[in-house]
Amino acid sequence: METVQYSGVRESKPGRINDLGTTGKEVEENFKKGCLKRADRSFAQGLQCQQINSMAALMSLEDSVFISHSPQGCVGCSIMAVDMYRVGQAHRGIKNIKNPRIIVTNIDQKSVVFGGEQKLRDSVKKAVEQYNPKLAFIYASCASGIIGDDIDAIASDLQQEYPDTIMVPIHCEGFKSKICASGFDAAFLSINKYILKKEKIPKEKGLVNLFAPTTVSYADQREMERMLSQIGIKVNYIPFYSSLEKIKKIPAAEASTSICKVFADEFMKTLWEDYDIPYSHTVMPIGIRNTDKWYRGIAKVLGKEKEVEDIIAMEHKRIEPLVAAIRERLQGKRVFICGGTGRSFAAAALIDDFGMELVGLETPTYDDDAQVDIEYLNGIHKNYVVDIANMQPFEQANLVNKLKPDAFIGVPDWAAKLGIPTTHVLEGKRPTMGYDGLLYLGNKIADQLQNPGFNVKLSQHVKLPYKDSWYEENAFKYIEGGV
Amino acid sequence: MSQILENPRGGCVLAGINSVLGALDKVCPILHAGPGCCMQTSAAEQGQSGHKSSCFVSSVSIPSSNMLEKEVVFGGTDKLRTTIQGAIDIMDADAFFVLTGCTAGIIGDDIISVTQEFQDKGHEVYPIDTPGFAGDSNLGYEIVWNTMIDQVIEKDVPKDEKLVNIFGIVPYHDPFWSGTLEEIDRILSLLGLKVNTFFTKHQGINDIKKCSGAALNIIVNPWLWNGPAKKFEEKFGVPSIRIPGLFVGATDTTGFVREVAKALSLEDELVEKVIAAEEDYVYHYLAQSIGVVSWKRFAVVADANNAVGITRYLANDFSFTPVLVIISEPLFRQEDKDRIIAQINDLEYAVPPRIVFTADQYEINQALLTEEKEITLLIGSSNEREVALEKDIQFILASFPMNERLVFNRTYAGYRGGLTFTEDLYDNL
Repeated sequence: METVQYSGVRESKPGRINDLGTTGKEVEENFKKGCLKRADRSFAQGLQCQQINSMAALMSLEDSVFISHSPQGCVGCSIMAVDMYRVGQAHRGIKNIKNPRIIVTNIDQKSVVFGGEQKLRDSVKKAVEQYNPKLAFIYASCASGIIGDDIDAIASDLQQEYPDTIMVPIHCEGFKSKICASGFDAAFLSINKYILKKEKIPKEKGLVNLFAPTTVSYADQREMERMLSQIGIKVNYIPFYSSLEKIKKIPAAEASTSICKVFADEFMKTLWEDYDIPYSHTVMPIGIRNTDKWYRGIAKVLGKEKEVEDIIAMEHKRIEPLVAAIRERLQGKRVFICGGTGRSFAAAALIDDFGMELVGLETPTYDDDAQVDIEYLNGIHKNYVVDIANMQPFEQANLVNKLKPDAFIGVPDWAAKLGIPTTHVLEGKRPTMGYDGLLYLGNKIADQLQNPGFNVKLSQHVKLPYKDSWYEENAFKYIEGGV
Repeated sequence: MSQILENPRGGCVLAGINSVLGALDKVCPILHAGPGCCMQTSAAEQGQSGHKSSCFVSSVSIPSSNMLEKEVVFGGTDKLRTTIQGAIDIMDADAFFVLTGCTAGIIGDDIISVTQEFQDKGHEVYPIDTPGFAGDSNLGYEIVWNTMIDQVIEKDVPKDEKLVNIFGIVPYHDPFWSGTLEEIDRILSLLGLKVNTFFTKHQGINDIKKCSGAALNIIVNPWLWNGPAKKFEEKFGVPSIRIPGLFVGATDTTGFVREVAKALSLEDELVEKVIAAEEDYVYHYLAQSIGVVSWKRFAVVADANNAVGITRYLANDFSFTPVLVIISEPLFRQEDKDRIIAQINDLEYAVPPRIVFTADQYEINQALLTEEKEITLLIGSSNEREVALEKDIQFILASFPMNERLVFNRTYAGYRGGLTFTEDLYDNL
């Protein structure tokens, strides 16, 4: 029997929820009992839409054009990926740094009334004739989706006209999902459908697909490649900073793994189903425990369990005295963590290397994958708050203000104004991963804790935008439904 | 009327509205829009403007109804209602503005009625029913002021002959907006005037309400704020003067001072004293670095306001040679283009440069790459660094979008800004 094709919308997975205020213990039990239900917030702040992720995931591909069938505002966030692309080139020693070619169809009032299909055709034509690219990605938007423009039909039509450019329409309409990682899935679904097309090619010995989003630094790429080369793996690093040729090589790999928990996790399943490529889906390699786990995961798929243990033992010998020195400085400090699915749980595991105590965790979704992490965390930390939220700084400010942690790990903007020492494990331009990244992060956290002057003084001069009364309220007041 | 564009500069009209409101003290936008619009619209403007963003709420801290499939199908006014209520309950804002994304605009949610319910209860909430697809961020600036004129600014405010309002410098869409407004404020204060910049010194909704008491509106921009100026004069009787381009350096800044003095009939003696002192300040410095910055043939890629100011300073005050000026924002009225051309062509000694109007990155790059005359200095946005590297020429990042520098109160405008700009020209190569 044909399995149902995955829609690319992460909410379609049973048991996955986005809105919940709870504790580590409670959520573990309730998930086990199947008591978690879909909920919503009657008041919320902005989210990250899935189109942002679809665009960011591919923006550094060579010989590509990126056509957004949308009004001009929908390419706003592409600046983050554009910046990573430019800096990524600089880090890789490229002198003539290039811009990605982003073309917006600029849906306007006329398009809303009469349809925007002609504007899309004209945009693709402009892009292809000006740049003769190998790939043309066509992104849907809320507006194009609601007015019903058929981007698939137009892409297929233009494919006839421009056979040298592969047209890849991507269904990343923002209103379809609250989980921005859905946008990664939408991009990979289209890569499979329009580029790989289920065609099998000869395997290349030792080749492994290493999926990496744009937020991974070149330092981290090199650390991952160094580690994998130690067990005889040749890396196909995709799709960040890669090319059509490297994408086409995906089916030639012996195995796949990803740097991020929610990046290409669904796609790796598809690669198993369509191309018999086994995969390892574990954790983000941040901190000793997670790096070991990630490393063992991919080694196991390739039958290199013995080799990897030898290397891990060696790395531990090298790194443990250095980590012990950092631990001296951080032992017992109370931490609040906020981040995306991959980074938040990775940071939570990282603080265990340093003997720190978790008091609060904010992460965008909860599902069986998160359950595995929470079970592990509950074994170490006795009492911590869990906020299932895509950002929602008003809840975070309320919680951080009540819990008064010694340190905050995550986007620093709000906790900093409360005077809490802040640090981030998402540094797309610096090392954060593997055994070497760990030291950078540990030293950074310890130094910021020791020297919190900036945030302390900032908090004496600047106020967050909330009323004083909000800090007295239940942080989860606006979550409706659920358990 | 929006064009297909490569690497568009800035966001949709919603992005413009959001960012302009974000620059007002304790004003909170509420977005009735799709789940990404808070982040996208903030990133499109504030996120590309020298890495500073609204101090009050920005990006994911903006209240939003986050319209998903359910709201698209069944309408989102219930969600909007609870979102506004929540915002009023927890945000410490002086005023709220409800903005519309494409989703709300296309499905036709009635945000005006929902907002009215809250106004009836005495809350300061204003609707702006202009969905994202209606235009670009420049339009957003005008929409904000049209909203203020229609709904916020009070009538019959006592006149203050010394009070002036500044318009035309768009927060965030001009990365130097803060410093520019501060320099304008400083200069006009020397003339004994009180200045509404609206976006600096913690000015906010209450200053806007009373701004109809001003003696004069000063528009510092060659084309923006045409409609609002007429409307403002009709409703409140305040006349406007237009300074048709940003003033950089002594010559044009003195021109600006004289225009304002003439419009307000200020006392000659004071005006001349201020001009003399400020020009002396500038030339006292310039005289200390003669020949330090080597001669250049330059091209400028910027919005009209900055392009005019930069070109005229380099040509008239610094004796550089203008080659090519690209006005990189969409302009639709020929009269506006003519006014810009006149400003760039009216140079004291230099031969006027070639002028190109295009907001499309491919066309901008082509114009730069195919220019027959040699260019040795390029002043542009982050998007032009690529061409500068390819041509291997000096590059100064001075227009929007600006990503590779951090900007707080820096400006190239005015007497002091001209000196700052000259400092940045130095490259020692």
